[in-house]
Amino acid sequence: MRYLVLIFLHFFVFEFSQAQLNKIEFREFTLDNGLHVILHRDNSTPIVAVSVMYHVGSKNENPDRTGFAHFFEHLLFEGSENIERGQFDKYVEKAGGTLNANTSFDRTYYFEILPSNQLELGLWLESERMLHAKVDNVGIETQRQVVKEERRQRVDNQPYGTFLEEIIKRAYKVHPYRWPIIGYMEHLDAAQEKDYKNFYADFYVPNNAIVSIAGDIDYEVAEALVRKYFNDIPKGKKPIYRPNIVEPPLGGEVRDTIYDNIQLPGVFMAYRIPEQGTEDFYAVSMLGTLLSQGQSSRLQKALVDEQQKAVAVGNFPLDLEDPGIAIAYCIVSMGTDVKAAEDAITAEIDRVRKEPISEEEFQKLRNQVENDFVSANSRVAGIAESLANYKMYLGDANLINTELQRYLAVTKEDIMRVANKYYTPDNRVVLHYLPKPATP
Amino acid sequence: MKRYILFIILGGILLFFSACAKKTTENIKAVSTADPAKAWRKNPPVPAQARDINLGEYSTFDLANGLKVIVVENHKLPRVSYQLSFNTDALVEGDKAGYVSIAGDMVSKGTKNRSKAQIDKEIDFIGANLSTSATGIFGGSLKKHSEKLLEVFTDVLYNPVFPEDEFEKIRKRTLSGLAASKTDPNAIARNIANAVNFGKDHPYGEAQTEESIKNITIDDCKNYYKTYFKPNNAYLVIVGDITPAEAKAQAEKYFSKWEKGEVPVQKYKVPQGPEERKVAFGNKDGAVQSVINITYPVEMKPGNPDAIKVSVMNSILGGGVFSGRLMQNLREKKAYTYGARSNISNDKLIGNFTASASVRNEVTDSSVVEFLYEMERIVREPVTAEDLQLAKNGLAGNFARSLESPQTIANFALNTFRYNLPKDYYNTYLQKLDAVSIADVQMMAAKYVRPDKCNIVVVGNKDNVADRLLRFDSDGKIDFYDPFGRPVVEKKVEVADNITARNVIEDYIAAIGGMKKLQSVQNLRTVRKATIMGQDASFETVQMVPDKYMMKISMMGMTLQEQKYNGTKAMSGQMGQKQVFTEGKEFEGIKSQSVIFDQMEYLKQGYKLELKGIENLDGQDCYKIVVTKPDGDQATEFYSVKTNLLYRALQSQDSPGGPVTVTNEYKNYKEVGGIMFPHTIELSGAMPTPIVMEISEIQINGPVDKSIFDIE
Repeated sequence: MRYLVLIFLHFFVFEFSQAQLNKIEFREFTLDNGLHVILHRDNSTPIVAVSVMYHVGSKNENPDRTGFAHFFEHLLFEGSENIERGQFDKYVEKAGGTLNANTSFDRTYYFEILPSNQLELGLWLESERMLHAKVDNVGIETQRQVVKEERRQRVDNQPYGTFLEEIIKRAYKVHPYRWPIIGYMEHLDAAQEKDYKNFYADFYVPNNAIVSIAGDIDYEVAEALVRKYFNDIPKGKKPIYRPNIVEPPLGGEVRDTIYDNIQLPGVFMAYRIPEQGTEDFYAVSMLGTLLSQGQSSRLQKALVDEQQKAVAVGNFPLDLEDPGIAIAYCIVSMGTDVKAAEDAITAEIDRVRKEPISEEEFQKLRNQVENDFVSANSRVAGIAESLANYKMYLGDANLINTELQRYLAVTKEDIMRVANKYYTPDNRVVLHYLPKPATP
Repeated sequence: MKRYILFIILGGILLFFSACAKKTTENIKAVSTADPAKAWRKNPPVPAQARDINLGEYSTFDLANGLKVIVVENHKLPRVSYQLSFNTDALVEGDKAGYVSIAGDMVSKGTKNRSKAQIDKEIDFIGANLSTSATGIFGGSLKKHSEKLLEVFTDVLYNPVFPEDEFEKIRKRTLSGLAASKTDPNAIARNIANAVNFGKDHPYGEAQTEESIKNITIDDCKNYYKTYFKPNNAYLVIVGDITPAEAKAQAEKYFSKWEKGEVPVQKYKVPQGPEERKVAFGNKDGAVQSVINITYPVEMKPGNPDAIKVSVMNSILGGGVFSGRLMQNLREKKAYTYGARSNISNDKLIGNFTASASVRNEVTDSSVVEFLYEMERIVREPVTAEDLQLAKNGLAGNFARSLESPQTIANFALNTFRYNLPKDYYNTYLQKLDAVSIADVQMMAAKYVRPDKCNIVVVGNKDNVADRLLRFDSDGKIDFYDPFGRPVVEKKVEVADNITARNVIEDYIAAIGGMKKLQSVQNLRTVRKATIMGQDASFETVQMVPDKYMMKISMMGMTLQEQKYNGTKAMSGQMGQKQVFTEGKEFEGIKSQSVIFDQMEYLKQGYKLELKGIENLDGQDCYKIVVTKPDGDQATEFYSVKTNLLYRALQSQDSPGGPVTVTNEYKNYKEVGGIMFPHTIELSGAMPTPIVMEISEIQINGPVDKSIFDIE
């Protein structure tokens, strides 16, 4: 009898009607020089996002020349053979558009959002950047100062701003994820013009890039324009350097205290996890949702609402190309002992490791994941970036439509299993952030 | 799927976004490529024919109870959102400022049918979001969960119970927010600007204070809810994967039983701008930057025929990404600031003009000069055709990009009803923008830019900055305000003619025991106890004449920090890492700690003492003395007029985040061995929470093991 009831319940509760996801259509082709192109047409608003993703991030850097990938994100706004210094962003502003760029451990991304009749302007600017950007001492000197200001503002002067670099330098011993994306300033100072020129020649080549365009386009016109501007950009002469370095297991807990200019203490715990796209990564990602997404999530409810030990909590995996880390953190409330807050997080993690997740809570997770996935692609700029990401990291742009299935394949048992496999004390780095004591 | 959202509070530094790297270097002519086949590359391509920009459609209907419903159908994503907006007039909250906002927050903290935890659980279960405020309720979910969402949404709307414990949680959170805002120069500037622009008897001029938050009761919140959460006072905006017919069915089902009621309408005096230039100053001790707001009220209701022309004018003066004149002048040319902008806001009651920047102390007055210069210039000189075109293109681009979101169409519709705009107001926006002429811009500048009739609000370091702003004030008198925008009444107590700075120091020495007694002290050992973040810490100090010093801070049995001076070398250690100094700022700093009674040094040569007047600190009048040490370092000290004892000392200290001002407050003086020692010292400024140190041991001329001063 008991069996029957269970099966019946199972059937009932598990009924999962997936939202009717509107499929994102796109076209892809590769030029002879290796440049991959993805086009997505959406004529509802007369705007277009033009983007180029280069498969170079901080992990491709020489350990003695860190910060190069991010430095290029600045340098490549300096102009080109045909674009005068300081005019790159002016062209876009005058056309009524906007532009920006960003850098991660694994890639660098540039984009413009323009009125759709200015598609060709975007392609001209991006092809100039790829073909013959200004990489010279004038620009290098200016941008060195700007990057140093950026570091001061975003890292040194930001409460808890150093946590990521403090974590990665302890979580990795040999893999290039061990240095910060923004790099060490002495490396930028030591670098010569030729170092920069070499980096440009090595990585800023069509066979290391994806052009992704989304918005109000006509497929044929857009393809012809892409070919016009990018066809004869020469292929790179050397194979692209992709580090093939396997980080050995952490081999025991790493624990440290950092003193910072902060109001409230913080706890940051990093667990080593597998790379994105793997089955275990999806399970780890859902574990993160269970712990910290929404007011009723485990960490939020226990630490913030009930115990009031923290004012903010979170848990999220870094989706990296090589094995990465998941970070659980909390900002400790005034008057609470840091260790007590840390123990409260660990207690919640241990609960996942030991107690099965209820059907109801598991269903909530699936609903949250579905909601996030379905809501993700509301703007053409986001679609252009997602298409390029999926293609670059996982080799399949169509995951923008299908990746949800991979999340929904994760079982409750998988979540418990990955909690036991990766969220263990000897696989983590624990940092306590404490307010700097004053000199009396 | 990105999961960075949860992390935004920490400043999400996973990706480094460049702020489109700006350059100040001169233009260099591009070298052209030799290949003639690439000649077409030399110039930017000609844009294609621009497509017409079509605004999306919306439909609208009213329920019998007066609720107006606006529907924007957009099937791109299988989601629906519901935004309930109240058309409530802003209230003067008086000595309970803040209760309206807390009332809005409380609505979702428990109902007759659901506890807060149940609400959270049910909303998370369907992957939805739901939030409430004084002006409305917002909820969004996948379409298939929209019925469930509306069930919780309307339970919150109809049945809130305002639980006591949740109320206390919110009050506590608000108070800690206010405590932090007292040191936030932008928050202070905002409070002062609101007070001087609108007056304390206008809803926009009020500021929450610790007292006003403490005055609020649950009943205030309940009454607000009962009075203003009425359908005839609201708009329901439904956006997403839904047809007007479906929307109508849902609106009837969930909102038609909601009972209408009379909603009070408020009357206000229209705030008048200043008739001259006034400087309003908020002091922030130890500030290294000044926040400048040049501001005054402007009547600019939404839909005002001037609004579009004014936005073009403002874009040239202080808008754009980098192209505004304020940015070009104060940042690119003068390098006074990271950013300078201006804005003219639209508002149903009263808008405002604000030009603002954060600038370093020494250029505060020069920056005001440049602000006023640019304001005068745009009034005086016609703008160029190129400036005008750039501004128009930028605004047209913003408009076009905003249309991608169906929420924009919904907001347009809402504004059209709420402010009674012409039906085609947004449809004709681009044409009106295109028609703006150079003459229009100049007319708008003359009408709305008032460099001679403005409030110059500055928040910064009073001692360094305030005096230099006098020249901008028409009546030559700067008004001072506290962090919540309340005038600081300066009770001027004049220093008696025969008192000098030297007298104050001598009186202090006499008050604590007299020169003779102090000279008899050969060594002094003190241990002070304090609690830091819930943990016990002890501060041990040993000083020995003429020049030995040792200090140790311990916590949880560990030595957190130590300092020594052995007569020739200084050492500073932190968490086991030690540094030895034989010269430099650190060396001098540690060396100076070996002096047992600082004030005995002050009377020696090389020290400069200045008496800056009498100030009232926490109810007692104090002499303000600025001490300049031989190395140029300055400290500001306050000595009680009544007891002659040192009450407060301020000193600037370097920290990784820039200089900070460390304040020591000396209290609870008691006699030990014939000398008065403060038994309580409050240390603040170096850490977010003050450290209160109480003496637990004190020993004068006792045995001292000299090896404690040894430096390896």
